[in-house]
Amino acid sequence: MQDLWTHLMGGFATAASGANLMWAFVGCALGTAIGVLPGLGPAVTVAMLLPITAQVDPTASMIFFAGIYYGAMYGGSTTSILLNTPGETGTMVTALEGFKMARHGRAGAALATAAIGSFFAGTIATVLVTLFAPVLADFAVTLGPPEYFCLMLLAFTTVSAVLGQSTLRGMTALFIGLAMGLVGMDQITGQIRYTAGIPEFMDGIETVLVAVGLFAVGETLYVALYEGRSNLTMNTMGRVHMTRQEWKRSIPAWIRGTGLGFPFGVIPAGGTEIPTFLSYATERKLSRHKEEFGTTGAIEGVAGPEAANNAAVTGTLVPLLTLGIPTSVTAAILLSALQNYGIQAGPQLFTTSSGLVWALIASLYIGNVMLLVLNLPLVGLWVKLLRIPRAPLYAGILIFATVGVYGMRQSAFDLYLMLAIGLLGVVMRRFDFPTAPVVVGMILGPLAEAHLRNGVAIGGGHWGVFFERPMSAFLLGVVAIVLLLPRLMKWLGARRARRQAAVAMG
Amino acid sequence: MTDSIEQAAPGPLYQTLVGVAAVAVGGVMAFGASAIPSDAGYAGIGPNALPWFVAAVLMLCGAWLVWEARTGGYRSMEPPSGAPRADWLSALWVAGGVVANAALITTIGFVLACTLCFMLAVRGLRRAEGKGHGGARQVLIDAITGLLIAAPVFWLFNKLLALNLPAITAGGWL
Repeated sequence: MQDLWTHLMGGFATAASGANLMWAFVGCALGTAIGVLPGLGPAVTVAMLLPITAQVDPTASMIFFAGIYYGAMYGGSTTSILLNTPGETGTMVTALEGFKMARHGRAGAALATAAIGSFFAGTIATVLVTLFAPVLADFAVTLGPPEYFCLMLLAFTTVSAVLGQSTLRGMTALFIGLAMGLVGMDQITGQIRYTAGIPEFMDGIETVLVAVGLFAVGETLYVALYEGRSNLTMNTMGRVHMTRQEWKRSIPAWIRGTGLGFPFGVIPAGGTEIPTFLSYATERKLSRHKEEFGTTGAIEGVAGPEAANNAAVTGTLVPLLTLGIPTSVTAAILLSALQNYGIQAGPQLFTTSSGLVWALIASLYIGNVMLLVLNLPLVGLWVKLLRIPRAPLYAGILIFATVGVYGMRQSAFDLYLMLAIGLLGVVMRRFDFPTAPVVVGMILGPLAEAHLRNGVAIGGGHWGVFFERPMSAFLLGVVAIVLLLPRLMKWLGARRARRQAAVAMG
Repeated sequence: MTDSIEQAAPGPLYQTLVGVAAVAVGGVMAFGASAIPSDAGYAGIGPNALPWFVAAVLMLCGAWLVWEARTGGYRSMEPPSGAPRADWLSALWVAGGVVANAALITTIGFVLACTLCFMLAVRGLRRAEGKGHGGARQVLIDAITGLLIAAPVFWLFNKLLALNLPAITAGGWL
């Protein structure tokens, strides 16, 4: 405990130095801006800014990127409430009730509960990260390749099979990502795979390129193809203020949302969708104002999911920092930022780069305070961003996409590839394929392959090693449960419904 | 928001084509996998194992997608947002902007290539909104807007962050 305190104070000393404070502030402000703007998410923004890793020191750039990640969550809720176009998957649920509240002239209260709830959840979750991440890192050191492979299998399963509409389309997306990850040099034997004689493919396809292609270029093309005539009406804002009654209804929802969100962020099960939906369902069930849900907008329906979202986002830092396993697209990009510095994310990170880790954690506390200030009194400023006409906004995004992709290794070939992946993104969006599995698959694929092969090598060439080691067998069991449980529930539900129908008929 | 009524998922023919494309990607992966030696060493699993697995699963997924498409369409599908029909010409302007950028960035430099990309893309996006192209005046405005975005970005990254974006002049300011 004493040790923890010393580390954290050391982290604060680093994070509160002039330059790092400036990076945190710029990150938070930029994050809020891109969160508010439709079409740009934190993943793409961090991806486009990755070239700065060539010049800026690792601690400063991680603080900067984390600020963007966090800020986008705050900003995203503003857009959800005022425009009903969620910028992020995690703020989808916020849009449900928040937009209704705004329609009925309570946008101010919705914005306030979202921002304060985000602050509350973000801070509590950061405390939990501070307490648990070092413990988990100590434990993670004992894990070998078989356990890592099983953990990654779990991440693959949840990101492709559980999230999203259809397991089949999720699996297809995941394997497209795995296929992309195969291009280039094999990590273990150095064997060249799938380069088709193109020298640019030797180093593999960059995660940044795929993320920028899928999200930035794909989004721009999609807007040109299909969304030109979609009109959006913006709600008026009103005063950002909550009454006593609204405070009383928000606080329990924040606490429950945080409790739901954090565990989901920590387990390598990815995504903020499940906890935000769960929180929404819980609030709806527990609320004493059920009639407001779906009609005039219930404040609990904004407060709970917003808290769950931010707690989950903070929670994703735990598997990222302690295991080196990203469970969201943005976490995957943060992992490639670390890789750019030659820093191996994983349990050793807490010993080898302890300065960076603790400065990052300390900056989260600072960032949350900055974001509360940026988003409560200054919300009117960000809302002005929504007035930027769509055409120059999306065309401008292409310029930043060029910086991110071309700046990586100065190759015009990458720009053509980016366009091709943008087209893939359009098809995937049109046919309702989830895109997150592609990015997670391509970044985790090569790592999982290496762990699989090393694992089998440990077992002397036998696959039994995955079942014989208790931890890895346990994880395989979890994978099976994650895969089978939802189907079993559905089947049982369907059977019960049939029985009841039969009884009613008879 | 009026679009929500006419939203429609792409038809079964297109869904089938997407499935076929997935099978084709799997086929290409399998072809590539056959060229990778299986030399496993101590591991028991060679560098060609995962490629074969990925190829097989992709073909399987593709075939399943085709089956779903032929038997009533993809399951539990959310209708996509936006108009039911694609505006190909507008998108072509945008894609043209990216291609022009890729083709010219080394010869005319980052700033000018990106300005051109911006001009083409913004024209396409405005076309998609059903607005006119605005004539020579609008072209000039777009050029200036593009320049005002591209040039500061270039200076920020090249001068401050020492990134190597190509310039047209020797001094590297443009």
